[in-house]
Amino acid sequence: MSMRAADLAVAVIILAIGVVVGFDAIRLGYGWAMEGPRAGFFPFILALLIVGGSLFTIWQAIQRKGVARANKPLTPPEAIKPILTVLIPAVLMLLFTEIVGLYVAAIVYLTGYIKWVGDFRWGTALLIGVLVPVAFYIVFDKIFLIPMPQGMFGARLGF
Amino acid sequence: MEILSNLAMGLQVSLQPFNLLAAVAGIVLGVIVGVLPGLGGANGCAILIPVTFVMPPVSAVILLSCLYWGALYGGAICSILFNIPGEPWAVAVTFDGYPLAKKGRAGLALCLSFFAHSVGALFGVVILTFFAPVIAAFALRFGPPETFGVMMVTFSSFVGLVGRSPMKTVVATALGFTMAAVGIDIISGELRLTFGSTSLMGGFSFIVAVIGLFGIGEIFLTVEEGLKIEGFKANVRLADIADTFRAMVRYPRNVVQSALVGCWMGVMPGGATPASFMAYGFAKAGAGKEQEEFGQGHVAGVLSPEAAAHGAGTSALLPMITLGIPGSPTAAVILGGLMIWGLQPGPMLFRDHPDFVWGLIGSTWIGNILGLVVVVAFAPLFASVLRVPFPILMPLLIFICAMGAYAVNNRMIDVWYMLLFGVIGYFFKKLDYTMAPMLLALVLGNLAESSMRQALIMSEGSVWVFFRPPIALILMCLAILIGFWPLIRAVRDRMRRPLRAAPRA
Repeated sequence: MSMRAADLAVAVIILAIGVVVGFDAIRLGYGWAMEGPRAGFFPFILALLIVGGSLFTIWQAIQRKGVARANKPLTPPEAIKPILTVLIPAVLMLLFTEIVGLYVAAIVYLTGYIKWVGDFRWGTALLIGVLVPVAFYIVFDKIFLIPMPQGMFGARLGF
Repeated sequence: MEILSNLAMGLQVSLQPFNLLAAVAGIVLGVIVGVLPGLGGANGCAILIPVTFVMPPVSAVILLSCLYWGALYGGAICSILFNIPGEPWAVAVTFDGYPLAKKGRAGLALCLSFFAHSVGALFGVVILTFFAPVIAAFALRFGPPETFGVMMVTFSSFVGLVGRSPMKTVVATALGFTMAAVGIDIISGELRLTFGSTSLMGGFSFIVAVIGLFGIGEIFLTVEEGLKIEGFKANVRLADIADTFRAMVRYPRNVVQSALVGCWMGVMPGGATPASFMAYGFAKAGAGKEQEEFGQGHVAGVLSPEAAAHGAGTSALLPMITLGIPGSPTAAVILGGLMIWGLQPGPMLFRDHPDFVWGLIGSTWIGNILGLVVVVAFAPLFASVLRVPFPILMPLLIFICAMGAYAVNNRMIDVWYMLLFGVIGYFFKKLDYTMAPMLLALVLGNLAESSMRQALIMSEGSVWVFFRPPIALILMCLAILIGFWPLIRAVRDRMRRPLRAAPRA
């Protein structure tokens, strides 16, 4: 995706958000009620700014057709793989957290990442992957009493 | 004199053992987050906020503010040694700091940067100590129109002075305010922008936004650039300290001017990053014959941006504690912390919680001195954090960010929002949407909206309420002037161009 295409796409998404906000502001009422400006008053102004601003951005992006900097890719092709190797495991970890809780998910995630992405030995991967979440568990759950997500089965695992 | 006795009280508060411990912990953690690319002062503070719930507010604010000072100091370490800015405000120091290190004077470069930081901090903290009480006393008389005026100045200065694309800054700010409006309207009690979804009813937490935008987003950007860690080893020797003082005596104007630029940008919510670039620009422009040496390891090129960055960071606390308006993203997070600890930021703070305010000011003095000692003594140790291989560091960072995001409200949806904000942060950074005002808008949304609506209720709907009280009028005029500055400049340039072109034709 070129810089310009990304610029257009993001501006269109923001424009859509602005329109949605505008409709909700109109539903709430943007005028004057007995007690003062109604609940939709401020969001209505925001919606105008968002819609106006993103229309301007879209217009500007259209104008920039053929400009060299605008045709540069948003993400260099060689960088897409590294970014996905960050994003996809992170998403998997969060999905796993929903099931078994954050600490168990973190052990799997850290160990797996260090072993397979980092290509370290099992010993290193397990040492860091297990020790760090356990240390955080002791500090946060036991000392500071800050609970972390347990997931669907976490409570039964004793976390 | 009253100020001095208050300051003495503040120093006493900050020297209590537990608070001193909090300060040291804050500094050390701060330098570490400062060194690590992808983890900065703002999200370092954001992740620690849940931990502060168990502390008294003074210790909590000391921990967070010292983390900020540590991050300011630490940002320079990896800029100089590795040519990788650990923080956005440490970009300008790479211009001359890295070349200097390449010449074999890494110790000197570090030392120059650390002492420049402490000079900037000194200016900032003096301004904080002596002006904050005055401004707070003045601001006690502010009503809703004036409060709204201050907001307008804050946000228009982002539009006019900071972003590369003013219109995108407007959009980003409005998006921030919109996110703040999601949930229950505090005045009418109606549900807004929730569209029947219960998870939207709780609104968006700015802490989650910080962790996502500045933490996860930065990680994506770091990965994309391909982190190659090849740095210099550096010990700060006594000779380096002596050379640093020699350099400061030789370029006193650069140091003072930069510190003042920094303080100005900190108070005017520009923040440390633009301040460091501005100061570097000024120093280079004023260097005369030595201009050529800039970019090749000129000592003033290290001193200037660093003094400005720390001046801005420190003085960013001034509007935060006096007006309740943070001058930088990190100050915004600390302000959010204040609200969570049950303190109402703003001028009342000086009257109602003097021990808190003066404890913070006192710890700013202590913390910056501690910070200087810590970084000068242990710079190589902190730099070694960067030698941890990235495939180990990165998942640890994501794990810690996830913990921080969850702990704010104990909601799993926040962790997903964090990831979403990370992706948004990546795109916004690439496409020049400035994130700082978006974050500030998210923090200040309720205050801005309620001050606007209250002012309009006072005036029964007349917009003139924002322009009739003298202070509000001045603030609004200032806001309009600054906000439309890019437009004014564009028009001015366009009018000048034909004049210059005329003789040629």
